Amino acid sequence: MLFSEAVGRKVVSTGNASTVGHIGSLVIDPAVGKVVALSLKKTPVTGTLLPWSDITAFGVDAVTVAGEHLIVAEEGHFAELNGKAHTILKKRILTTAGLQIGIVRDVDFDPADGTILGILTDDQPVDGRSLLGVGSYAVVVKV
Amino acid sequence: MSTLVRASELAQRIVVTYAGEDVAQIKDVVYAANGGQIGAFTLAGRGLFAGPLKVGLPWAAVVGIGQDAVIIESEDVLVPLAELFDATDGPVSSGKADILKSEVLTDAGTALGRVSDVIIGIGDTQGGQADVVGYQIDPAETLGRGKLPLLIPLPDTLSASGEHLMVPAAAANYLSDNLAGFGSAIDAFRSQLGGAS
Repeated sequence: MLFSEAVGRKVVSTGNASTVGHIGSLVIDPAVGKVVALSLKKTPVTGTLLPWSDITAFGVDAVTVAGEHLIVAEEGHFAELNGKAHTILKKRILTTAGLQIGIVRDVDFDPADGTILGILTDDQPVDGRSLLGVGSYAVVVKV
Repeated sequence: MSTLVRASELAQRIVVTYAGEDVAQIKDVVYAANGGQIGAFTLAGRGLFAGPLKVGLPWAAVVGIGQDAVIIESEDVLVPLAELFDATDGPVSSGKADILKSEVLTDAGTALGRVSDVIIGIGDTQGGQADVVGYQIDPAETLGRGKLPLLIPLPDTLSASGEHLMVPAAAANYLSDNLAGFGSAIDAFRSQLGGAS
């Protein structure tokens, strides 16, 4: 599934069947090569972050979660990863050989466990396993 | 043969860590004591008002060097400049500043011209060496090769002082005017030297 498809998807509580937010962005941890949390918009609670491990299912039409109490405040490790410096979209991609191979247009991930499958550029997509880091300057991938 | 670049093109190149942070940019090239290889890079900070950094980047820590960036594992591989200069034996100079503008003489005593840039051959793999393979010279008028810069291949080892650079007379036969054909000129020149000795 692509980031662009996932953004805007509603998040529904299985506890009371109400919508508890919409996906604003996805938080990646390059160290494990996975989506580790969802950053939500329009939440009824003060927090905005939904850790991936607390998701009940990432469905085609909605993301389900046990209840809105699982939405946590943005702090610590997640806040750092969700910061502007670590967003992956529209960032230049550098290989470890020091060549720029394009700009991140979209990211393909596995909705089952959040694994990054591929990074889409204007040309050839890059294998998600080669992702090394996402920083303020560039996304670094292994060649 | 490895990739050939001009030393002046390496300056300003951005140093990026695996984490994707731009920690510095290349300021100058430090050649190893014998002048035949790159020993390290001095660095400048990123941003408008950033000055030179007190740390340098040893060649061994470079993971990849490409057109757009120099990749290192993390900021931890940078070492303080003082340490960098201590580690290499013998006097190490910021060779580029010294080498530029000095006169190239053949061992037959002919002046070929003045050095305007240094050509570096970079190996493909990590831990590969970055060899100084040639000089770009502004040719002396007596050479009769016009005024455009010429590339001159170097033997594996060379003798250089701040004043003169000595090259074997045979190097004059392998002058080239572009980087594209220069790789083969170096190979031909070096194999000829090897055959002669």
